This record gives sequence, C-alpha cells and structure tokens, in this order.
Amino acid sequence: MAGFLAQARFIIAAFVVALILALAVPAGAQQPSTVNPNAAAVKEQQLLNALQGGTIGGRVSIPDQKSGTLIQPGGRDWRQFHEVTLRWIGAIAILGMLVLLVVFYLVRGQVKLESGYSGRRIVRFNGFERFVHWMTATCFIILAVSGLNITFGKPLLMPLIGEPAFAGWSQWAKYAHNYLSFPFAIGVFIIFLVWIGGNIPNKVDVEWTKRGGGIVGHDHPPAYRFNAGQKMIYWIVVIGGTAVAITGYLLMFPFYGTGIQGMQLAQTVHAIIAVLFVAAMLGHIYIGTIGMEGAFEAMGEGTVDVNWAKEHHALWLAQENARTGPNESQRQPMATPAE
Amino acid sequence: MKSFVLACVAAVAIATVAGFALNSVQKPADQAFSTTGVRL
Repeated sequence: MAGFLAQARFIIAAFVVALILALAVPAGAQQPSTVNPNAAAVKEQQLLNALQGGTIGGRVSIPDQKSGTLIQPGGRDWRQFHEVTLRWIGAIAILGMLVLLVVFYLVRGQVKLESGYSGRRIVRFNGFERFVHWMTATCFIILAVSGLNITFGKPLLMPLIGEPAFAGWSQWAKYAHNYLSFPFAIGVFIIFLVWIGGNIPNKVDVEWTKRGGGIVGHDHPPAYRFNAGQKMIYWIVVIGGTAVAITGYLLMFPFYGTGIQGMQLAQTVHAIIAVLFVAAMLGHIYIGTIGMEGAFEAMGEGTVDVNWAKEHHALWLAQENARTGPNESQRQPMATPAE
Repeated sequence: MKSFVLACVAAVAIATVAGFALNSVQKPADQAFSTTGVRL
C-alpha cells in the first residue's frame, strides 16, 4: 500500500511539472522578437530597450542640432549611476577610510619617534617642493569639497541649509571647482617632474612592504627618500590626478572632445576616481599629521629631526650624509618656530 | 608657512587667470545657441 501511494505521488508530481512546462513554454514563445510601438500594452522600458543604445530625435532649426535629441536611453543609466551607485561607492570609500583610520588610531595610536628628538635637523623638502605640494593640496581640498557637494550636497546639505542657500553655495563651489582645477593640474604635473626620481619602485620597497612599513609594532624597515607607502601616494596623485584632470576638462568643454555618451563615461570615471582619491588622501593626511610624530615638520617647515630620518628613511639619511657630510645637519632648538 | 601662503596666492592667481581665459572663450547659452529668429 505504501509503495502504491509513493508511486501515485510521483505520478502526480510529474504531471504537475509537465503541466507547468506546457503552460510556460508557449507563454515565452509568445514574446515578440521586436517591439510594436503602436501596441496598446507596450511598456516604456520595452521601447527604450528596443533602441539598443540609439536615440530618438527630431529636426530643429537652431544651430545646435544636438538639441533635436528627444530620448537618449543611456542618460537613464547615467542618472542611476550618479544618483544611486556613485553615492554608495563614495560613502563606502570615504566613510570606510575614516572608520579605518579612527580604529587604527585607537588601536595603534600615534607612531612615536622612539629615539626621541636629537635636536639636529636635516632638510627634507626645499621651499619649491613645499610650495608645489601645498598648492596642489589646497586646490585638492577645495576640489574635493566642491565635488562631493555635487554628489552628496542635494540629499545631505540642502535639507539643512535650504534650497536658496544651497543654490548659491553650489554655484560658487562650481566656479571654484572649475577654476582651481588649473592650478591643481599644474601642481600634479610639477609633482610628477620633481619627485619622479625618488618614486621608481625598487627592491627596498618589497622588503618595506613585507614588514608592513613598520606601521604595526616597532619595526623600522629602511627606506630611501620615499618609502613604498609614499610611492603609492605619489602614483595615486600622478595617475589619479591626470585621470580626473582629463575627464574633468572633457566635461568643462562639452562636445569639444566627445559626444554625450563619451561625457557620461567621462563623468563616471571622473567621479569614481575622485571619491577613491579622496579616500586615499585621507590616509595620507592622517599619517602626515596625527598618525606619525615628527612627520608634519617635513612639509610644514621643510626639515626633520635626524632621529626621525634615521628611523623612517635610514637609507636616505645615509645618502645625504655621504653627499654632504653628517656635520651639515643643523643643531636647532627643540621648539623650532614654523617658517 | 611662507611656502603655504605663496602656494595659496599662486593657486588663486592661476585660477583667476583661468577664469578670465575661460570666460573669453565660452559664451552664454543664449548667445551660443540662438539665431536672430529665436527668442530665449
């Protein structure tokens, strides 16, 4: 009896499956291969899909023939990107980096100058290098804030300050974004030229990276003028800066370099690189300020303590001593006033 | 500090020059995209 019931269940189940398949296959076969735009039940999305990336346009009498475009489906994908996807990418990258830095600071604390200040200083960056660094850095901060305003300003800032204030602020932020891009791009180019010599990866970087840069624990892996972490920042600035400059100028001069689809792609690339750039620079700012004792002096006043150089850039210090002699280092009072 | 101040001054100077250059090249939309037969 039990066997008969099992067989009956199997037959019924097979029948139900066969029935579902019989109903489903003709339904799928009824889907038209092309869309009839005159059909009563046609959906807008079907029409857009049928365009296959093309556009619907008309004829206009004004000189700008591009204004004849009525529907450009790629614009919807682009809108979805900058209204939704980009905000997620930006939030994860920037907030993620901030959380990481806070956790790291709480767990590791500041990287101390373990041998203490010697009172002898060595020139780390000359006046021109600091000038270029700060010109690029200040422009970057304004570009980052004004750029993030484009992505996050509407949902985050506008509800706080109101539409009129947000409109005024955004207009000036856009001017600043456009015009300060020029000193930023010039700065990136000069940085590329000035520091390329010290930023070519070598074997020392492999060892430095294997030892985690000494950032965890109390290790001090040797490095030349720039360690692997600084080289990574250098190449992020050079490659990332060049990419945002090129894509930004494609957007600043619309239709000079590319069409609407090219500009949508340019804006996508520009925005993704920019938010990752901001996240990377947060790490750079952290380690150059509160993350490491004595690091800010290098770019703040141009010199570092000899013990700092010995701990973090021992090979560079040896090179400098071989070039100028160890007695060239200046003995200065501990509290060196800022320039 | 001197390098920082000079950097800020240079950035503003370059941006100002760029602003004037851009404004001399680009025209407002009502001038760039209209004819005598169009009112915007």
